[in-house]
Amino acid sequence: MAETAHALPLDPLEPRDLVAPHHDDKSLNETLLDHVWRKPGKGWFMLLGITSAALGLLVVGVTYTLARGIGVWGNNQPVGWAFDIINFVWWVGIGHAGTLISAILLLFQQKWRTSINRFAEAMTLFAVMCAGLFPLLHTGRPWFAFWLFPYPSTLGAWAQFRSPLVWDVFAISTYLTVSALFWFVGLIPDLAALRDSSKTKLQRTIYGLFALGWRGSGRHWHNYKIAYLLLAGLSTPLVVSVHTIVSFDFAVSQIPGWHATIFPPYFVAGAVFSGFAMVITLIVPARKYLGLRDVITDRHLENMNKVILATGLLVSYGYLMEHFIAWYSMNQYEFWTFYVNRATGPYAGVYWLMIACNVITPNIFWFKKARTSIPIMWVASIAVNIGMWCERFIIIVTSLSQDFLPSSWDIYTPTWVDWCIYIGTLGLFGTLFLLFLKFVPAVAVSEVKELQLELKHAAHAAHGNGHHGSDAAATHGAH
Amino acid sequence: MEAKVLDSWVLAEFATPEALVSATQQMREKGFQGMDTYSPYPLHGGSEALGLPPSRVPFIALGGGLTGMVTALTMQTWMNTIDYPLNVGGRPLLSLPAWVPITFELSVLFAAFGIFFGLLGLSKLPQPYHPAFESEEFRSASTHGYWLSIPHPTGTDAADVKNQLTALGATHVTVVSGENE
Repeated sequence: MAETAHALPLDPLEPRDLVAPHHDDKSLNETLLDHVWRKPGKGWFMLLGITSAALGLLVVGVTYTLARGIGVWGNNQPVGWAFDIINFVWWVGIGHAGTLISAILLLFQQKWRTSINRFAEAMTLFAVMCAGLFPLLHTGRPWFAFWLFPYPSTLGAWAQFRSPLVWDVFAISTYLTVSALFWFVGLIPDLAALRDSSKTKLQRTIYGLFALGWRGSGRHWHNYKIAYLLLAGLSTPLVVSVHTIVSFDFAVSQIPGWHATIFPPYFVAGAVFSGFAMVITLIVPARKYLGLRDVITDRHLENMNKVILATGLLVSYGYLMEHFIAWYSMNQYEFWTFYVNRATGPYAGVYWLMIACNVITPNIFWFKKARTSIPIMWVASIAVNIGMWCERFIIIVTSLSQDFLPSSWDIYTPTWVDWCIYIGTLGLFGTLFLLFLKFVPAVAVSEVKELQLELKHAAHAAHGNGHHGSDAAATHGAH
Repeated sequence: MEAKVLDSWVLAEFATPEALVSATQQMREKGFQGMDTYSPYPLHGGSEALGLPPSRVPFIALGGGLTGMVTALTMQTWMNTIDYPLNVGGRPLLSLPAWVPITFELSVLFAAFGIFFGLLGLSKLPQPYHPAFESEEFRSASTHGYWLSIPHPTGTDAADVKNQLTALGATHVTVVSGENE
């Protein structure tokens, strides 16, 4: 490939390609939409089989829970919160990377986000759906879930707005709604592209229905651009607020190990950390299967690994501060929780697994070799996901099982129903994701085309007679 | 048969986004009104070439956000302070700091609804049928084509407009008719 001739980068600090250089609008269109029209391969059906089987476990777990009541879970007194909240926080956290990639990177004009935002937003939506299941089931009678919202009931009672749990209801439902709107608005032009490259009447009708009649009108783009930017602007504080509120579920209480002011930022950092890891876990196989290596380049993966390193260090700092404050406050319950119970108690194995996965693992990304090696980053990303799950387990279970009075301590063990529901949500997530990969463009096609045009202009400017300024000239010189 | 009000448009395809933008600019300077461009992604300088006023989406968003804020504050205050005062550990009935999270969330939610429905409303979407779709070539507008539409009185000769567009570099010019928008 004659890459060197016209693949000059936009920015001298970003030395690698964002879009492989041999594409124009038409070929991008074909490459990026191809996986929708292509008949899915054996691999896809195999994976769908596995995820549907896991989804079956969810059906079993939920049915059994609804039939028998939540007594079939391992929750007990004092551990009244366990898998249901651990998995809730874990899934919400995973969801956050999607919004972060889409919204925050858009506001910072990070061009590399374009190829992965659709993918990450889908992850957000599906993760938040999985998250929502847990508190819903934990109510015991999910058919009364509307009780959570303030509605005029015959009892004349209203929701208690001083409770973080009510804040959570509003935060999660807002987050799900806004994420869905943001995702859909981003999808509209691509749905139109699908409609217009459909091969059968049925495809054209279905995609046409969802495309809402979008025809790329300049008058529509005029409103669209600002609408998309504003949604991104709103999503940014929203994502921070959501995990802050999730952390309030703990921080506002008085349980040792929960009652900490560092919780909001530390939860947000942990959410981004686990979310980016999940993006790596999913995108590495997906870009191979979908043939998207031209737009999801090694540079994207490396950048994401850098974010994992940065947020991993923030999480480590959070752990450090928790331990420091436990010692510095000289509060015996806090001290016990952090130095005795968590590190050497009945759940010490989970604790040290968490330290290994969250504190030690990300540090391999200091090395460029690890950041650019596909097998290393994939394994590391899975380790981070496991580590972040362990973190939620440690925070929730250790603090509850041994709080103030030794006479009320008890051990928590999850039952098979707990595992069924947890693995079941993994199946739900995987199934939704595979369907997404099949039916919707996994990459924001219209944005990639726009990016490609910008890159071309930048390269052109660098090739020109130098009147575009020293940046462009420097880039040219560097090559 | 009942006579329907029909409108016609001259559709012209251009090879590059730059050619489309400059042609739009020049046609507008010649006095053509009600033009529109069609492209797979927003054109740089496209809004300026069409001479569009600033978008009203931000105002709708602001309206939505303020509605959400006022709704949340009045809802929480009325429910927890007036209609069903609940004494929790002696905390004040009007605990404004505790109202903050929900106020923020509802402001964001209503603003997002404002943006979404504002976008659809201002763009008159969903609109599954548009006369432009009568031209099969026009479908490239969502994938790799750059099109310009100019309204044209039905039944009159469009040759002049067509020639002008070809002179500006249009690679393909056609006329479509359909019901008045």
